[in-house]
Amino acid sequence: MKENRIKDFSMFLITAVLCGLMLMTPAAGFGAGKTIVIGGSLPLTGAYAETGQWIEKGMRFWADEINTKGGLLGRPVEFKIYDDQSDVGKAVTFAEKVITVDKADLLFGGYPGTAARAVMPVAEKHKYVYVSMGGHMKSFLQGYTYSFGAPPLMGEWWYEGFFQWLATVPAEKRPQKAAVYTINNPVGLSLIDSIDRWTKKLNIKIVINEKYNAPLADATALIVKAKQSQCDILFANGFFPDGVTMMKAAKALDYNPKAIVQGIGSVVPAWVKELGKDGDYVFSGTVLSGQLKYPGNDKLNAYVKKTYNLNEYPLYFGFGYAWMQTLEQAVTGAKTLEQTKIRDWLKKNEVNTIAGSLTFDERGLPAPINFGTQLINGKVELISPKNIQTREPVYPKPAWEK
Amino acid sequence: MDAVLIIQSLISGIMMGMVYALLGVGFSLTWGVMHVIHISHAAFGLIGAYLSYSLLQYCGVDPVVSAAVSVPLLFITACGLYQLLIRPITRAQNIVMASMILTFGLAIILENIMALIWKADPRVLTPTYSSGALIAGPFYFQYPHLVGFGLSVLGITAIYLFLKKTYTGMAVRAAWQQPEAAQLYGVNLYRISMITFALAVSTAGAGGISLALLNSFEPHSHNLWLIYLFLVVIVGGVGNVIGTALAGLIIGVITGLSMAFLPFQWVNLVTFGLLMIFLIFRPHGLIKQEGM
Repeated sequence: MKENRIKDFSMFLITAVLCGLMLMTPAAGFGAGKTIVIGGSLPLTGAYAETGQWIEKGMRFWADEINTKGGLLGRPVEFKIYDDQSDVGKAVTFAEKVITVDKADLLFGGYPGTAARAVMPVAEKHKYVYVSMGGHMKSFLQGYTYSFGAPPLMGEWWYEGFFQWLATVPAEKRPQKAAVYTINNPVGLSLIDSIDRWTKKLNIKIVINEKYNAPLADATALIVKAKQSQCDILFANGFFPDGVTMMKAAKALDYNPKAIVQGIGSVVPAWVKELGKDGDYVFSGTVLSGQLKYPGNDKLNAYVKKTYNLNEYPLYFGFGYAWMQTLEQAVTGAKTLEQTKIRDWLKKNEVNTIAGSLTFDERGLPAPINFGTQLINGKVELISPKNIQTREPVYPKPAWEK
Repeated sequence: MDAVLIIQSLISGIMMGMVYALLGVGFSLTWGVMHVIHISHAAFGLIGAYLSYSLLQYCGVDPVVSAAVSVPLLFITACGLYQLLIRPITRAQNIVMASMILTFGLAIILENIMALIWKADPRVLTPTYSSGALIAGPFYFQYPHLVGFGLSVLGITAIYLFLKKTYTGMAVRAAWQQPEAAQLYGVNLYRISMITFALAVSTAGAGGISLALLNSFEPHSHNLWLIYLFLVVIVGGVGNVIGTALAGLIIGVITGLSMAFLPFQWVNLVTFGLLMIFLIFRPHGLIKQEGM
């Protein structure tokens, strides 16, 4: 009889301890909350697929990490990712669907800037916090209150780092004449802003300032014009395909200005992989880099080394991760999934990301971030500002390797 | 206006135009002979480019030499595809519409297969001569452009001679001009259609290699190429090899001259604007269907 009572008591004790353990483990067992669904679309196929897939990888790395740590607000997270096929219209449709049909708890940022810019008013209409790269400066000047760039990809800031470095070069050694070729779309045009400001400041004359429509089938005429005009700095403000076309033509025609500055195309891993040595010495900019000493960068670098055999995480992997880091801190800080409370928390507090500590102004933007870069021996080196410099820039550009 | 810049732009435009012509000639043939508007034609061109890329990367085979592998390979594949997909739709009431829908789907499938095999990353064909140029006085001829141009001229000439000089080629022409009469004379329409389709797909492969020598490419690039295909075929006249070649040259000249005289952003506007004007006066294209 006594033996039975002891047995029953022991069973009760074991059960109680197990229940207690289950309740203390937030993401598992009976005490686990409902999964938090984070929805949106990415260009997983189509023109921007390469970049979109890197963003997804960055986001998924964050999700694995947070789920291992016990989830967000103690609940596991899960993505509902639609493939918008690089179509802005579809990105908008999916944003609506995620909010109104799927009733996702949170929205994630999209790509490219044109898609993010189109989704921003949707997020505003439904009062959903939207942390993304934005669609350059204009998109943040529309009075939206639920959109945040964390970090943003801002064409208007893209060459700041390069120009800050160029300003340190003695005036007589600086380029004198610039050829500026810009892809005729909002991304390309946003790059002109800093060129206009800085060339005036540094007394560089813009001799050619032309726009072209994609696709740029052949850049021979553009390069001949720049060469004939003796332009000693070339701004190739475009994407990967036109960037490659221009570099190939520059080499073939032996046009070797003191500096080649390339907008967005040279920051994708394919630039180094496909162009090899010919892609070297190109100046550009970035808002994220695995070489920056901000917390988290080492961890990301180690992950991409192990998983993709890359020495440094690709820019868009970092974007995907940083946007989710921001959203995570906002939700944790606000202690709720209520969108307006998350927004208000973000407006008042600082977030710590792999792009550094960010606080947001009334437009949803942090203070301007930009680091000047140069591709040297197939590696993106940070050249400006001085305190984060990983290598002295190579200037003037060496002759093309034959 | 600088004469050097004008001539240089003109040369570049002509070279580019000929490459589009090679890519377009097969598209024109399937449209003219079989009434099949083959939307996945450019996707097959892209497969040619990718095969060439892989052969160069992993075996060091020059893109021109790789055409000797990819062109026959695409020919055989196209024969199979004809049996499986194209032949059934030639019995449809509205072949044009049915073929457009079917091959549009095929293009999407091919794009996804390419993305699966070669990933979505952009690729660049970089043979040893990829960034060299032949310098003739003040003019530059980029080697890849010269090779692409040469391959295009060769391809178009081969197609022309095949249609003009061989029995099968003459049968293709006969089937296209008078299908019933050709059948009465013993021409096997099914066999001829299969050969035409396979020939068209294999020229797309060669055209894809030529274009890849000039530009970078990604699995979705075929959508862009398709626009130029329609352009050369409509201007040249559907089903017309010479017309397609001429159209390529004309479009190249217009593009080249626009680049020399106008701001670059106007080039597409001028090219397509002139196309519209051209079609008002010559809706059947440069050369009517009776020609070749």
